[in-house]
Amino acid sequence: MTHELYNGPELMYSGHVGCPGCGATIAMKLALRALGQATMVVIPASCWAIIASSYPQTSLKVPVLNTAFASTAAACTGLRAALDMRGATFTTVLGWAGDGGTFDIGFQALSAAAERGEDFIYICYDNEAYMNTGVQRSSSTPFGARTMTTPDSSWKRTEKKNMVEILAAHRIPYAATASIAFPEDLERKLRKAKAIRTGLRFIHLYASCPTGWGYAPAQTVQVARTAVLCNAFPLYEVEDGLTYTLNRTGSLPVADYLKMQSRFRHLDAQTIQDIQDRVDLELQRLRQKAQPAGLESAVPAAASPGL
Amino acid sequence: MREAAKRIIPVPLLMSNAFAPTTSNKTGHWSPSQPRYQNKTAPCSVHCPCGQDIPRVELLAARRRFRDAWRLLLSENPFPGVCGRVCFHPCERGCNRGLFDAPVSIHALERFLDDEAWNNGYEMETPAVSSSGKRIAVIGSGPAGLAAAYFFSRLGHACDVFEVESHAGGLLRYGIPSYRLPLLALEREIKRIESLGVRIFCSYRVDADFLSQARQSYDALFIGCGNGRSKRLGIPGEELAVDGLCFLKQSMQNGSKSLEKAAGPLASPSTAAVIGGGNSAMDVARSLLRLGISPLIVYRRRAEDMPAFSDEIRRASAEGVQFIELSAPLSITAGQSGLTLRIQRMRTDGLGPDGRMRVAPIPGDTDLLQIDQIYAAIGADAAEPWMMPPPTADRLLLYHSVSLLNSEKTLPTVYGGDLVNAEESVADAIASGKEAAIVLDAYFKGGSACVAPAVERCRIGSGQGLSMELYMHGPRGQRSGRVVEFADLNAAYFDHSQAGRGEVIPPALSIGSFAEIEKTLDREEAVRQAERCFQCGLCNDCDNCRTFCPEVAVLIKADKGLQPDSAAAGWQRWIDADFCKGCGICVTECPRCAMVLEEPPI
Repeated sequence: MTHELYNGPELMYSGHVGCPGCGATIAMKLALRALGQATMVVIPASCWAIIASSYPQTSLKVPVLNTAFASTAAACTGLRAALDMRGATFTTVLGWAGDGGTFDIGFQALSAAAERGEDFIYICYDNEAYMNTGVQRSSSTPFGARTMTTPDSSWKRTEKKNMVEILAAHRIPYAATASIAFPEDLERKLRKAKAIRTGLRFIHLYASCPTGWGYAPAQTVQVARTAVLCNAFPLYEVEDGLTYTLNRTGSLPVADYLKMQSRFRHLDAQTIQDIQDRVDLELQRLRQKAQPAGLESAVPAAASPGL
Repeated sequence: MREAAKRIIPVPLLMSNAFAPTTSNKTGHWSPSQPRYQNKTAPCSVHCPCGQDIPRVELLAARRRFRDAWRLLLSENPFPGVCGRVCFHPCERGCNRGLFDAPVSIHALERFLDDEAWNNGYEMETPAVSSSGKRIAVIGSGPAGLAAAYFFSRLGHACDVFEVESHAGGLLRYGIPSYRLPLLALEREIKRIESLGVRIFCSYRVDADFLSQARQSYDALFIGCGNGRSKRLGIPGEELAVDGLCFLKQSMQNGSKSLEKAAGPLASPSTAAVIGGGNSAMDVARSLLRLGISPLIVYRRRAEDMPAFSDEIRRASAEGVQFIELSAPLSITAGQSGLTLRIQRMRTDGLGPDGRMRVAPIPGDTDLLQIDQIYAAIGADAAEPWMMPPPTADRLLLYHSVSLLNSEKTLPTVYGGDLVNAEESVADAIASGKEAAIVLDAYFKGGSACVAPAVERCRIGSGQGLSMELYMHGPRGQRSGRVVEFADLNAAYFDHSQAGRGEVIPPALSIGSFAEIEKTLDREEAVRQAERCFQCGLCNDCDNCRTFCPEVAVLIKADKGLQPDSAAAGWQRWIDADFCKGCGICVTECPRCAMVLEEPPI
């Protein structure tokens, strides 16, 4: 049974130059399917700048505007204004930046656009470091990870920035986490974000990276799934900055997730336990904020024989 | 100044515009490894003596295509209604779901599909095969004989069945009480076999003369007479015991009205001992219960050593049958107020070479049982010597469940059923009939040299079950013989759920009559149960491969004409080798191991 998600046209071309098993390309493919043809994408410096736009080629069937690292949200603001002036109000503007372009370099423009209540969707596809330039740590890199700039015994000893909380604190109409391993959840959130037009919508989209994290390309979705099921990356959404709904958590130990990736291979048992304690604490805090009845059972529906 | 302002020259917006899609990059060259769709073999179908295509049956049932599911059952087994009731369902022991929560209710679903077919008047599909001109005589109309006749007919051979009793069915009719297998469920399946053109001659006693004259009318013989003669107890006073098989036959023919006649010399016995530990002993004991008699099963080994299926022992016990274990009968004597059974107490004596617990008598420890009636149900063997393959024949070819006598003096003769099969169950008897059909058909086509390769080609995975679909070169043949294990599945895509069976009448009510004790699943429950099937090794169009492919390299088209092996929605998928970078996500995320990642030899 073909999946409901898959009856529309593919909006991504084959032949792009993403690494084998790239989670970020799965992210774009799924996101564009949910948003549809009437979408314009703004991409700053990032892996996706290369994947989408190696002049004269493009890997997307929707218009792409490349912009400087810091200015995704500013460019989205301008694009939205230009489209509205031409009457193309139905076109969705999508800002598509990596974690470096969101958590670090693009943060000022994003925060400002959120404060102004700009009408576009901003997706941060998060592969937890500057992958395009050779795996330098960003403020999204999790505690314990090794990167080129946090090598060997200097592995990163600060926590990952909580971006959804920061955006929720702007009281934007919609902020959510999503994962490539849960396509139905991702699709639902993007459709919801598309329908809201009263301000900026922010999606923190987890996109695992075989090249930077050190696992076999075939495990991309497995790693992403495990991140959710061990609560390192719980799926939840925040409406109007205040109403939290928890969509998907799990009960796996975080060690299952860490052991899949060579960037965490050096961690000793005590550090893994510290990470587990932190994950438990964060989940507990999230649960306190979330509505009690918000938990969905979300085994991906693809498993059951369709009708 | 003012003039200069008027002479503004518009500067064009310099923006490079990509104009070519990336599809000119043949990124498929990046990696030599390539995923491929490859359906594999499910363990349930390996455990099934009849080689049923269980994952496909459950897939069709889950999609409410009950008629197609039922027809698929019929393609491998003429008796889904019988097997859905009395089979010991080894399939469920092999089910990978058993390692996750509980096995899929394959047995109950088979029964459901039979009832659904009956209630809706579904008609059988017969393969378009032209008549071969061959005529085959089948001796014995038990499950082996009728299954052989059914498959012979479907292969284009004319078939006559000869049965010594007044009605067809053999053990199914005369050996299994109606609370397990109602007559109607059996008769409709026999009628279906007759509708293929099979002629059944009942009350026809075949003898050695018949066999020697058969050459004039027939091209081959199938002999599947079953164990028709009960074994004797071999103890003093054995003539005082009632033969269990005769009792079952009479109680089937006459129902509870014949209490006096069936129960023997005493007008109204109230207690009875049943000697034996097989399924027949359970059937005799439970039938006695329904006639108002309290039965005791006397068995020389322990209850766990009984050859009866554990379900049958459990149900007999639940209904109130008492068990006397480790007790061997010594003698029977008649007295004023009934019979006296002297028993020898036994003890366990270590495992024998066959892995079975041995027992030995405890010297001097005997006991007397005062009882109204005694039934012997310790097994049976061939009634007449010609029913067995000649022990000295040099041209006897042995297969798993049949033997082919390929002698110039006689017709090609296949011996099958319980008499030559090491496994004695209804499903094994049916499997024997099917193997006979494959063996003879291959023999007709190419002589005895062709038989072994033909049988091998039909084998399901590593098991003994044979598939008629494979013999007929059906799409199932595209499947790999590799048997899918639980570790091959991606269990992240499955949620825990409850197994369900048909409602069972509680023992207190069930012993009041010979009515069937288990009810069929209702439709919604059946769909829910069928949906629990993992479809090990069989693509069910879940589309995970296409969902997650980062290269948009999984292509799909609807193609009803192709009849892919999933036999479900008629979709065809393939991997675009121009763009597949061989990451293998599709293979990892396939929940049911229906893909394989291949690395070509360097």
